[in-house]
Amino acid sequence: MKGSIFNIDAGYLEGLCRGFKCGILKQSDYLNLVQCETLEDLKLHLQGTDYGTFLANEPSPLAVSTIDDKLREKLVIEFQHIRNHSVEPMSTFLDFITYSYMIDNIILLITGTLHQRPISELIPKCHPLGSFEQMEAIHVAATPAELYNAVLVDTPLAPFFVDCISEQDLDEMNIEIIRNTLYKAYLEAFYDFCKNSIGGTTADVMCEILAFEADRRAIIITINSFGTELSKDDRAKLYPRCGKLNPDGLAALARADDYEQVKAVAEYYAEYSALFEGAGSNVGDKTLEDKFFEHEVSLNVMAFLQQFHFGVFYSYLKLKEQECRNIVWISECVAQKHRAKIDNYIPIF
Amino acid sequence: MGSLFRSEEMTLCQLFLQSEAAYACVSELGELGLVQFRDLNPDVNAFQRKFVNEVRRCDEMERKLRYLEKEIRRDDIPMLEIPGECPEAPQPREMIDLEATFEKLENELREVNQNAEALKRNYLELTELKHILRKTQVFFDEHEGGANPTDSMTRALISDDPNKQIGQVQLGFVAGVILRERIPAFERMLWRACRGNVFLRQAEIDTPLEDPASSDEVYKSVFIIFFQGDQLKTRVKKICEGFRATLYPCPEAPADRREMAMGVMTRIEDLNTVLGQTQDHRHRVLVAAAKNIKNWFVKVRKIKAIYHTLNLFNLDVTQKCLIAECWVPALDMETIQLALRKGTERSGSSVPPILNRMETLEDPPTYNRTNKFTSAFQNLIYAYGTATYREVNPAPYTIITFPFLFAVMFGDLGHGALMAAFGFWMCYKEKPLQAKKIDSEIWNIFFGGRYIILLMGLFSMYTGLIYNDIFSKSLNIFGSSWRSNYNASDLRDHKLLQLNPDSDDYTQTPYPFGIDPVWQLAEANKIIFMNAYKMKISIIIGVFHMLFGVCMSLWNHLYFKRRISIYMEFIPQILFLTLLFFYMVLLMFIKWTSYGPNPGNFGSQESEYVKRSAFCAPSILITFINMMLFKTDENTRPQCDVTMYAGQLFLQKLFVICALLCVPVMLFGKPYYIMKEQKQRAAAGHQSIEGAAENGTAGGAPVPASAHHDEEISEVFIHQAIHTIEYVLGSVSHTASYLRLWALSLAHAQLAEVAWNMLLRKGLMVAGYQGGIFLYVVFAGWAAISVSILVLMEGLSAFLHTLRLHWVEFQSKFYAGEGYLFQPFSFEVILDSAGTSEE
Repeated sequence: MKGSIFNIDAGYLEGLCRGFKCGILKQSDYLNLVQCETLEDLKLHLQGTDYGTFLANEPSPLAVSTIDDKLREKLVIEFQHIRNHSVEPMSTFLDFITYSYMIDNIILLITGTLHQRPISELIPKCHPLGSFEQMEAIHVAATPAELYNAVLVDTPLAPFFVDCISEQDLDEMNIEIIRNTLYKAYLEAFYDFCKNSIGGTTADVMCEILAFEADRRAIIITINSFGTELSKDDRAKLYPRCGKLNPDGLAALARADDYEQVKAVAEYYAEYSALFEGAGSNVGDKTLEDKFFEHEVSLNVMAFLQQFHFGVFYSYLKLKEQECRNIVWISECVAQKHRAKIDNYIPIF
Repeated sequence: MGSLFRSEEMTLCQLFLQSEAAYACVSELGELGLVQFRDLNPDVNAFQRKFVNEVRRCDEMERKLRYLEKEIRRDDIPMLEIPGECPEAPQPREMIDLEATFEKLENELREVNQNAEALKRNYLELTELKHILRKTQVFFDEHEGGANPTDSMTRALISDDPNKQIGQVQLGFVAGVILRERIPAFERMLWRACRGNVFLRQAEIDTPLEDPASSDEVYKSVFIIFFQGDQLKTRVKKICEGFRATLYPCPEAPADRREMAMGVMTRIEDLNTVLGQTQDHRHRVLVAAAKNIKNWFVKVRKIKAIYHTLNLFNLDVTQKCLIAECWVPALDMETIQLALRKGTERSGSSVPPILNRMETLEDPPTYNRTNKFTSAFQNLIYAYGTATYREVNPAPYTIITFPFLFAVMFGDLGHGALMAAFGFWMCYKEKPLQAKKIDSEIWNIFFGGRYIILLMGLFSMYTGLIYNDIFSKSLNIFGSSWRSNYNASDLRDHKLLQLNPDSDDYTQTPYPFGIDPVWQLAEANKIIFMNAYKMKISIIIGVFHMLFGVCMSLWNHLYFKRRISIYMEFIPQILFLTLLFFYMVLLMFIKWTSYGPNPGNFGSQESEYVKRSAFCAPSILITFINMMLFKTDENTRPQCDVTMYAGQLFLQKLFVICALLCVPVMLFGKPYYIMKEQKQRAAAGHQSIEGAAENGTAGGAPVPASAHHDEEISEVFIHQAIHTIEYVLGSVSHTASYLRLWALSLAHAQLAEVAWNMLLRKGLMVAGYQGGIFLYVVFAGWAAISVSILVLMEGLSAFLHTLRLHWVEFQSKFYAGEGYLFQPFSFEVILDSAGTSEE
């Protein structure tokens, strides 16, 4: 039933998004890109793809950062266009996507101010999708409580932040904790929104992706916490509880002491054990992180197999981001003449 | 030539160019625009081709030019059109000069812009400061209320505790400027972050200020914040920074402020002069660039196009020459040779280029030479599909049939004249209108079809005269052939009276041209008369149009030497159409000529007169249906003959049987013939292979050919079946489809009549001077409706129906439309498309 009325509000946008998706670079494009000798070659080849003339007005010695900026700009314009044309409940869904960028921006700014960087230097580094009005005044706050009361209370992030107010002051460790608590709250809220408010196919698709995202965070947090002063109890509090690891896996993770134990936990879950199998720290092996990215890409590609749901918008954004990372990676390799690892991109189609 | 009737003959050529001469030669060919190059390295990446560096340099130059153009547009400096002829593609060595020039210009401009921006920023700051000083004055004045400034500032705090008189607490303040839309959030943030311990006043700056970076106009507000203590001060400052507010020092004492304001004013004035000079300099640079920029654009685009084309070429083993393959119109070989020789001379190379004809099995592209008159009609045809190579081109016939069929539907002298006048104006003002380069898409559609519109208008005037219809009224040019013999009392008492052609009412000489204007007065049977007339006319025109289409297919079969198609397709097709539908047309003529009034024998009951009178005229439709069903109606009118002529029934049966026999011929004839031929060839092929094997030579050629045909035999059957069904059913439905000529014509006439009766007639009926005023208003409405609905909308609908009649009813009889278009390498096309895409 939902499917039959989906097109009234979101049909055009879904069509648009699927059209955008067709512009995502194919394996053959990557093979061509990898052969490029200079960034100029890269630009020339990208001109033949959906990117068209996005670099045409850039003066000649191209910098990788320019390419990065332009790629992001194009993606942001596309996303904003979709957001501006959307109505409820899709607009809320799209807003939810932007919240993760807001969290990243806030953390970036707080860390920056902690290191005495001027705010004007930090602002350009923020992701444009996650910018909000009060963002630039964030350095007023010295404690999390202040941060909440002065800056975040008006933003949509306010409900996520409630758990962090108890922290005493802003130091490296606490910022990390704040970031992860925010993310946990955000993921759980997004999961709940997809499952209960929207439901239907969107829930089927998005819950799968978000559950993976949650589990990935839990695993990464655990691995990164080894050798730090983070206590196991505190660590357990940071795990998002909407993934497939919940509750048994998370409980096991909370007890883990080293990488092997994490791996042992993952053994119980078919899809994650496969990721751990393939990953290694030797030269030539893919890192666990890359493995996670690959799995994420495959989940996102799968989202396009179903119709009449909002998951395509999320997936498109994530896939496109992966593509930007790929292009930037290749550009870096080309620019630094360091071709040995140029094949470490993650192909999408 | 014959190029109007068929597409041009094309040959595939191989072109050997010496490396040095290649550039000049390709440039000459680009000016000529008669050669379509084929990509000889389709597998090579864009950035691995030979001349990719040159292309990239051109891109870079184009970028600089675009930057220049943007700046020129920003200053609204007019860009000079290229005087006279397009500049030729410059020599490769000139490219370096051009690059240097652009580089210099770009750098100069960037520097000027930087300076200007810095100055503007300075200027902005000073203006903001000026506003702050002015606005804050008001705040201070309000607060002070004439008292001592420091006193007043502390008064509020002291009044809490009036007895103690502590040492005066100094209130600090900051003043600044902020974007107006940020004010609410800013205020809220201040309140939250400082827990309400600050006092904010703000005032709007009325005049918009220019943002130096983007040179947009932005609205800003002045604010002043009062607070107490250093901690709050840092906090307030941080918030200001976060909201990108600019803070300015503002002295506390009124005297200082006044002094500062004076200083600011003088500095603003100084800055204004400097700014003016910078602008002048920038303007001079841009004006100089504007003179040449179009010229440069053309040059760079030409160079780029040449190198793009060179990238399609193959390099031979010795690296000394480039090999190209191209499609060339056979008639233009000479011109191309000449251009190549010119190119060689220009480059100073000694080795002449070689142009070789090549044998190929590929289908050549379709190329029809057009001029400004025929191109519009050719485009109508191409919109359906590009003609197969060397197929009969319907465009020349369309030049007449298209406006004619349109006019049959649009027949009205007045509306036709309006349309013709518009078309004529566009044709007459062709050059100035073309030079204007109007961007509106709708206008360009009209302008592109100006000759079609002119012809449609003229033909509509003609059919309007035939229908005797001008804005739904008639013209009585020659004097009607009818007169009324009724006396006054008859005329007064009866609403309807009949005029009888047998009697004196009719002069017995028909109205010389078109429909007699008396029909305009025939309220009761005008429509019946016109319908009968127009319906028959539509069918007659339709059948002739379709017969003509089928005949066109004969020319195709003859040209492509498809003898079997002539016997098995063309002949049965034309028989089918002639025996059934052309016979129906003949019946109409027989009915027209053999039935009618008998002058002087009004009311005669003699059987020879009765049999030839309108009373006995049979219905063509019923006759035709009976013919198809092999049956005869009961004779309900004993005084009349059953048939229109002797032997009609036998002849009709014969016709129908013959026509039906044509169907199986169409259906099975050609596939059967092909099958038989294949069997023969297969047998022959066996023998030849055996023979070849014996001789020890390779005889593979005939075998793959026949194998290729064998697998298609079922497809041939299906194909033929589809064609036959389409043709047989199509003959019926297409004939009926031509009735749209009548339907639209009727609709047009009726709408015109409604417009006249409902509007203009009302205006004409009011007497006195009020009538003049009323008519003035009503005429405007009538004219607007006439032009917008009757000419524009009805015209558009008639146009579309005409288009359909040509595409479906006419072209389906012979036009395959499976070719692809000849797209020569031509600077003109490239420059045009670059020009439009840019805008």
